[in-house]
Amino acid sequence: MKDNFEIKEKFDESYLLKVSGLFKKFDKLDVLKGISCEVKKGEKIVVIGPSGSGKSTFLRCMNLLETPTFGEIWFEGKLLTPVDPYLHKTIIRKSKTYNKILTELLTANPDKSAEDFDEEIIERIKKEDLLKKNEGSTFNKSVKELYNQFFQNINVTRQKIGMVFQHFNLFNNLTVMGNMTLAPVKLKLKTKEEAEKRAIELLKRIGLEDKANVYPSTLSGGQKQRIAIVRALMMEPDVMLFDEPTSALDPEMVGEVLELMKELADTGMTMVVVTHEMGFAKEVASRVLFVDEGIIKEEAPPKEFFANPKNERLKEFLSKVLI
Amino acid sequence: MEERYVVLPFYGLWKMFQDIITIFANSEARGYLFQGFWHTLVITVVAAMIGLVLGFIVALVKIAATQSKLMKIPGVICNIYTTVIRGTPVALQLVLMCTAIFAIRGFTPYAAVLTFGINSGAYVSENIRAGIYSVDKGQLEAGRALGLSWGKSMVKIVMPQAIKNIIPAIGNEMIALLKETSIIQMVGSTIGALTFDLNVASTTIYYSKNIPVNSYVTCAIVAGVMYLVVVYAMVLIIKLIERRLRKSER
Repeated sequence: MKDNFEIKEKFDESYLLKVSGLFKKFDKLDVLKGISCEVKKGEKIVVIGPSGSGKSTFLRCMNLLETPTFGEIWFEGKLLTPVDPYLHKTIIRKSKTYNKILTELLTANPDKSAEDFDEEIIERIKKEDLLKKNEGSTFNKSVKELYNQFFQNINVTRQKIGMVFQHFNLFNNLTVMGNMTLAPVKLKLKTKEEAEKRAIELLKRIGLEDKANVYPSTLSGGQKQRIAIVRALMMEPDVMLFDEPTSALDPEMVGEVLELMKELADTGMTMVVVTHEMGFAKEVASRVLFVDEGIIKEEAPPKEFFANPKNERLKEFLSKVLI
Repeated sequence: MEERYVVLPFYGLWKMFQDIITIFANSEARGYLFQGFWHTLVITVVAAMIGLVLGFIVALVKIAATQSKLMKIPGVICNIYTTVIRGTPVALQLVLMCTAIFAIRGFTPYAAVLTFGINSGAYVSENIRAGIYSVDKGQLEAGRALGLSWGKSMVKIVMPQAIKNIIPAIGNEMIALLKETSIIQMVGSTIGALTFDLNVASTTIYYSKNIPVNSYVTCAIVAGVMYLVVVYAMVLIIKLIERRLRKSER
């Protein structure tokens, strides 16, 4: 057991963000019940679903604003969560439990080979949660070592994951300029001058350069959200997460925010968007996910997703939303 | 003897007026009052400093305890601290500190100041905690999502907003502290020592043979008015700070 596990299903370079087997429990409430999803570079994923289905939690798990109960999240080859041994067959195969069960089964059925039982044993170990019960400290140590190998401080990772919130969450104690320059300057990614120059550029792009020195309380909802988006862009993220960016806006202002998001999508930004805007999903998404009851019930390109949904629950949902 | 039974309207007030004149005309009385006033100020300011620093630390530890396992034990200690300090009379704490914990000759006044500081810290910590919790959770989340650490987000984003909400409550606590310091007479009232505060001064004036005052009430009222002056000055300072802080909102 001294040797490290080798993760065969190691991080695939073509994926920017990989979520596997995500579970999230709030006290006794299961919000997410095993979500797996991969986001490739440049992809625009739109997540839709009824309220309380866990789609926001799913998004917030991606940058660890919520800590998942089980499951792994990979971002650019880095592991954000502890290693979940159940997700890696190589790890399970190396465990004592696996070998014990295998020898038992082989002595019972001498005519069969080890491969025949492989799937069965892995399933059984997962189902009965045997690793936690039976494995000792050496196993845990190896898993931990493996984790350390891929571990990166979450604060460093988050710099590359932009996030836009439903309620904008602009810093009320800072001006628009302060909001935009705080993180890049504090984290020493840019000097103050560079950051201010970039901020003005971005503000010009959204036509709000005259608002640079005002406090957020004087802005309209649409303006706030657009500034929240460019604030996230100041960090030059590799992926942008949008948590219902238009849900708290007046209907009038939804357009301007969606327009900016579309512009952003056109620049090739990787995006994961939780939204109720079906029009946006149809137009921009490269894939649409339907999340309900904590699992992904349907996953398809927008054309297929809206034209002929397969899942019953999705059909019902779409019939209510698309009138 | 008969004079005592003559009750004239406003006779008492007239006597008090006479006393006030006596007190302010007498240089010894003025000296006591000035010394008491000064000592009260010193005790309050030092205790307030201790209280604010302690309260701030305790509040942060308590909040951090909800965030990480590492801070669990310090969090429990802080909880015990606020429970015990807020749950027992300050007079008891004062006597305990000055006669048992710091039973060192000459150290009594400092032990007393420390007691007031520690006592105030418990109340201040709860005020600060409430102020921090009054800031929308999204503010911290937005900071964290940009890659700022918990500490940096706290210092740069949450605290500046919390302070605005904390100031009125802190002002309240400081005013209460100022008047609470008057119980320092329990552990000493020697002229010249730090324990000789405004309240002690008023008593000393009454009992002094060289100052012919008629009633204790007058002495107490004079001291009371001086307390009021300090409190009013504090209120003005608090208002000024508040106005400064609120400016950033517009």
